Amino acid sequence: MSLVREFTKGIVAENPLFRLVLGMCPSLAITTSVENALGMGAAFTAVLFASNIVISALRKVIPDSVRIPSYIVIIATFVTLIEMVMHAFVPALFESLGIFIPLIVVNCIILGRAEAFANKNSIAPSIMDALGMGLGFTLALIIVSTFREVLGAGTFLGHSVMGLGANSALIFILPPGAFITLGCILGFLNKMQRSKA
Amino acid sequence: MRSIIKLGVFLLVVAGVAGLAISYVNGITSPIIEQQMIENKLASFKEVYPDSDEVRDETSKYLNDSTNPVITEVNVAYQGGSPAGVIYGVAPNGYAGKIQILAGFDIASQKITVIKILSLSETPGLGAKATEPAFTDRFKDKDAASPLEVVKQEPAAGNEILAITASTITSKAVTDGVNAAREHFTANFK
Repeated sequence: MSLVREFTKGIVAENPLFRLVLGMCPSLAITTSVENALGMGAAFTAVLFASNIVISALRKVIPDSVRIPSYIVIIATFVTLIEMVMHAFVPALFESLGIFIPLIVVNCIILGRAEAFANKNSIAPSIMDALGMGLGFTLALIIVSTFREVLGAGTFLGHSVMGLGANSALIFILPPGAFITLGCILGFLNKMQRSKA
Repeated sequence: MRSIIKLGVFLLVVAGVAGLAISYVNGITSPIIEQQMIENKLASFKEVYPDSDEVRDETSKYLNDSTNPVITEVNVAYQGGSPAGVIYGVAPNGYAGKIQILAGFDIASQKITVIKILSLSETPGLGAKATEPAFTDRFKDKDAASPLEVVKQEPAAGNEILAITASTITSKAVTDGVNAAREHFTANFK
């Protein structure tokens, strides 16, 4: 398999949010604004990138029977390191993302990629896989949050759009709106795929 | 048996390396983070009570078991050696968890200077609007003598605060917090 394919598969064919339906909890929680989606996507990609490299490099060292606890320790370590470094050196970014960073530990996509990809492949494909999956997840978050922010708050990236303002449908930025939006998008994508096949 | 020991030792090594990495990075970042927190605190003090040359934490002097537990901090702002204002830290219960608020009071005029919401976990788009100046400005220059009241129509009296639409619980919580500070202020800083 070529490196390019490892990269592109995460964006559409194996999109972690829309196709693998992984990482639902953080996705439902943070897609209230596009800004959150961008931040979560960036932090997620950084952690996945680092954990995929280390797990791929250690794939012959880690005994099979204790691989899951090892992965969890590695992932949690990276999340903690990134959290501390961001807090110290980019406090403004930490302010807006602070609460989402610990959420990455419980993001099953990272453990999923470690288990499904990084422990079977060498470092280069694992890097491409991490970047592709990270980009795919970020794009998916942006799509969901665009619907929710525009419909629910009448803004896009904080700028007012369509003159909705106070008349926006508040339910979209509340928890039920997350399920409604995601359900509609998944249903639409499934319909598209079925009519293609 | 042997494999259990082997696996145990392996996990020990993994966790040990992780612990070392975290403690090393923590050693570098924690002084920087601490410094930032102090600076942030001083900056928000300045926002809430601008005219002071020194702010001293006098929580232990003013808070005792009988004071309202909502009050978490009492900082006195000094100007030319004498107290000019008081900055309260209050943490009332909102709709979803505690709301951390700084409320500034001016001793000379017996008025609220301004309030600032440090953190909250209220509903985005509803209660979270409390952090916006549009809401916090409603507390500006209110008289400390009379209790503040939350109203849903355009305020008629001077001590009324217009609630955020569809977020009465949050508006009430913030107002309750400020009221607790106000009571303590009028009792102690006349």
